[in-house]
Amino acid sequence: MPVWQQVYDEINDPDFVIICVAEDTGGEAVAGPIFDAANPTYIQVVDENHIISSAFNFVNVPSAAWIDEDGRIVRIDEGTYAKIHELGDGEQAITFGTDVYSPALKDWVAKGADSEYVQSASTVTGNIREHSFDQQKADAAFRLGNLFRAHGLKEKAEQCWEMAQSLNPDSINFIRQDLTLTEEGSAGETFMKVMGEYVGAGRDYYRPLDIGTS
Amino acid sequence: MADAFMAFPELRHPFEETPIHPQGSTTVLYQGKAITLSETGDADGLLIRPEDLTRVSGFELKPEGACFEDMCVPINGELLVEQGGKQWFSLTAFADLLGQPYVADEQAGVWSFAEIPAKRESMMVDAMVPDFEVTDRQGNVVRMADFKGKKALIVTWSSW
Repeated sequence: MPVWQQVYDEINDPDFVIICVAEDTGGEAVAGPIFDAANPTYIQVVDENHIISSAFNFVNVPSAAWIDEDGRIVRIDEGTYAKIHELGDGEQAITFGTDVYSPALKDWVAKGADSEYVQSASTVTGNIREHSFDQQKADAAFRLGNLFRAHGLKEKAEQCWEMAQSLNPDSINFIRQDLTLTEEGSAGETFMKVMGEYVGAGRDYYRPLDIGTS
Repeated sequence: MADAFMAFPELRHPFEETPIHPQGSTTVLYQGKAITLSETGDADGLLIRPEDLTRVSGFELKPEGACFEDMCVPINGELLVEQGGKQWFSLTAFADLLGQPYVADEQAGVWSFAEIPAKRESMMVDAMVPDFEVTDRQGNVVRMADFKGKKALIVTWSSW
């Protein structure tokens, strides 16, 4: 989150807002300290029920939408990294993210509709993921699971979360959120296996970033 | 962020088992809110008191139907029903009419409704931002309509 604060500071435009949304069923207790560490001045939301992911049909984090002054979405659903991140050392080191997204964002804030990164309504609607009846039902099941979890009803919560995952197997969000409750966590063997199958089946859980490298 | 991947072990079993609502009540999850109803009808679906409709869904009962902004759904005999000498509004029949999915655990007395598809049509057709309402960490209600005239980046992340 510090990286978004840096981008926000650099843009420094009173007519631009960042709404930064933590998709964490653990709530403020989990997401709050991470937000606080960034000393953010942008809008911070802890979205236990993944309302925002549902609204935009996102299946993974980080994902984003750009909204213009008239409420039109001009980019949507890309693996949204503010920079290239490095984790680990030596041979274990992994990098992820991109260094082309932030400059594109800044270009849009400065130039508006004249920015080359603004996409047409038809491109945007084409990039919005399908959200079938079953997938919407999965959202309802996921939220019901969260309610049960919040009341300590773990078995009922698990049933609902399993229902959500089977109704919307595309949602990496649901799978990883559920895995946070296991000993191995959300980036363990199970996730790696699921991710391998997902990508192996030719599916993108991030839409390929349609911004050229320069 | 790396530490967060191991997901806060103390939060895996966060709370003692606590009742969801007072005995005999029903909880409805609707558009991101949890609403507790002290009175519901006895039926296969969910019957609520007509006066609770706005509190639950934002729709208002008007002569022309159940209305939200410029959308009005005409009332029929499946939506407004008589039972036990009282009038009830079937929230599930309403959802069926709207093509709005829902799930329920009737034993626990909880119902969870998904988004209303008609409210999202302008996104799917014209790329207009969908209506949503969330609360920020400072307690302010955040609605997209509040940012008219500004550009916004909405970005999700998570600790996991």
